[in-house]
Amino acid sequence: MNNSLKKYRFFWPVVFLAPFVICFFLFNLYPILYSFYMSTLDWAGYNQKVYVGFKNFISIFTKDKLFWKSVLNTLKIGLSGFPIALVLGLIFAALLANTKRFKNALQTMNFLPYITTPVAIGMIFTFIFEQHIGIFNKLIVAMGGKAINFIGSAKYAPFVIAFMIIWRNTGYFMTMYLAGITSISEDLYEAAKIDGASNLQCFFRITIPLLRPVTTFLTITSLIYMFQMFDEANLLFTNQTSSTVGGPSQSCLTIVWNFYNQAFGSNPRMGYASAMACVLFVIIAIVSVIGLRLMNGKED
Amino acid sequence: MKIKTACKTVFLVLMSVISLIPFYLMFSMSTFKSEMIFQGNPLIPSNYFIENLKTIFASNFVRSYLNSFIISVCAMFFSVLICSMAGYAMNVYQFRLKKVMNMFIMMTMMVPTQIGIIGYMIEMRNLRINNTLLPMIFVWLASGLGAYWMISFFKTSLPLELVESARIDGANELQIYFQIALPCIRPGILTLALLQFLWSWNSYMYPLVFVNKTENYTIPIFVKSLASAFRTDYGAQLAGLTLATIPVLIIFSFGAKSMIRGLTAGAVKG
Repeated sequence: MNNSLKKYRFFWPVVFLAPFVICFFLFNLYPILYSFYMSTLDWAGYNQKVYVGFKNFISIFTKDKLFWKSVLNTLKIGLSGFPIALVLGLIFAALLANTKRFKNALQTMNFLPYITTPVAIGMIFTFIFEQHIGIFNKLIVAMGGKAINFIGSAKYAPFVIAFMIIWRNTGYFMTMYLAGITSISEDLYEAAKIDGASNLQCFFRITIPLLRPVTTFLTITSLIYMFQMFDEANLLFTNQTSSTVGGPSQSCLTIVWNFYNQAFGSNPRMGYASAMACVLFVIIAIVSVIGLRLMNGKED
Repeated sequence: MKIKTACKTVFLVLMSVISLIPFYLMFSMSTFKSEMIFQGNPLIPSNYFIENLKTIFASNFVRSYLNSFIISVCAMFFSVLICSMAGYAMNVYQFRLKKVMNMFIMMTMMVPTQIGIIGYMIEMRNLRINNTLLPMIFVWLASGLGAYWMISFFKTSLPLELVESARIDGANELQIYFQIALPCIRPGILTLALLQFLWSWNSYMYPLVFVNKTENYTIPIFVKSLASAFRTDYGAQLAGLTLATIPVLIIFSFGAKSMIRGLTAGAVKG
């Protein structure tokens, strides 16, 4: 008996957990740790490695205006995109929850953007917002307005990306919220109705508080995603022949795009880019820890 | 009351149309000759789709499609296996360090894998597999979110008594896992499989770093390769992207219901 118990306490747990742990260490954690090591080097990836200590970090924090610009850009794009997508998703879910007809069709339609390839999204959004040929601008001109150079101006371009984020994620957020709402007991709403609560009161006093776990989950995953944003920004500008890194006056250069360009661009600085990755890692770690606290907090 | 319902309907329909327009544009624009896309009305399909298909099939499209498919299927199969094994272990066994393991899996969910890409590239180069498709598969295997979901799925859908009684009947752990546990969480498995396929299929940055020869092109890289300084064949690009959307569309329309149910399991039960 003792032997068989041991089997369930040691042998089988190890067998079942080992693949996950090993793969995580090999392909996810080790590369990050290696990047930490590389952040102390001056290295282009092929030539002699030169150890420079903390010099890369010192440059990032004291000299590198572009890095901080990219941080600000990322925050600007992400914070003007994700909160709107969250709110829209929530409203949408609440409305859809008491819709009977076409519920599934509406839900599926709105989920489609989430499964579309980012490359396609980038192209289509270029076609929609381009100054001369863009459909949106044609519409503006047709209504008597003046065409706006959305993609070519530092003022508007970040918001085009924010709009891409809203477009892509609203349906996904809605789906998450909708399932959350479905799991709220009907009795709560009926009791509230008997006490004379209006629909709006129900929404603010019952639905929103009870959806907090979903909101927390979505907020944390969005924040982590936001700091790693690359595809949307990069793809909006890839198809233009005169493409510059970061879009018009680098207003769309996100942290990861900047990092990617330093590491794999025409003048690779892998050590320096690794140092950027480390700074980003610390930022994400802080956000995650706070997030985890919030997630665990609700269980107590 | 009538006005309210009308407002609601308008809002829902408007949102759905906005959701659909870019998607629809991709389809309809792929039927245009590249130079004609912006001349006419792109909302009404033209007649150049077959020509565009000919262009991409004459190029490296089939190989790229196949590569994307191999990567996504492998990533999907192995990550679902690995994550569900972890989820099973965390629910069925009592062992030392279980709390630590739980924290570890929570942590893996938060680790931003993408920013380790430089170290990952060097690692793959040292293993001499940086010119293969393997790096684009390996990175998906240990999905933190996947393991976390599998844990919560097993928690709600696998009665431990079932495992106990199977053990008494003499089944070994692998049999129990494959024949009893996995069927219990089929919706969860399906959801994770769909998402893993979707994520690896749509992945952009890893191919960008790891693809350096035409034989290894994936769809996003192939589509990019159709753009040049002299003439970018938008029509062909969009035709390629339209075809690239088909597998996810098919998988999604089959699994939409269980996926939408499964997506939230982790978030709601947290």
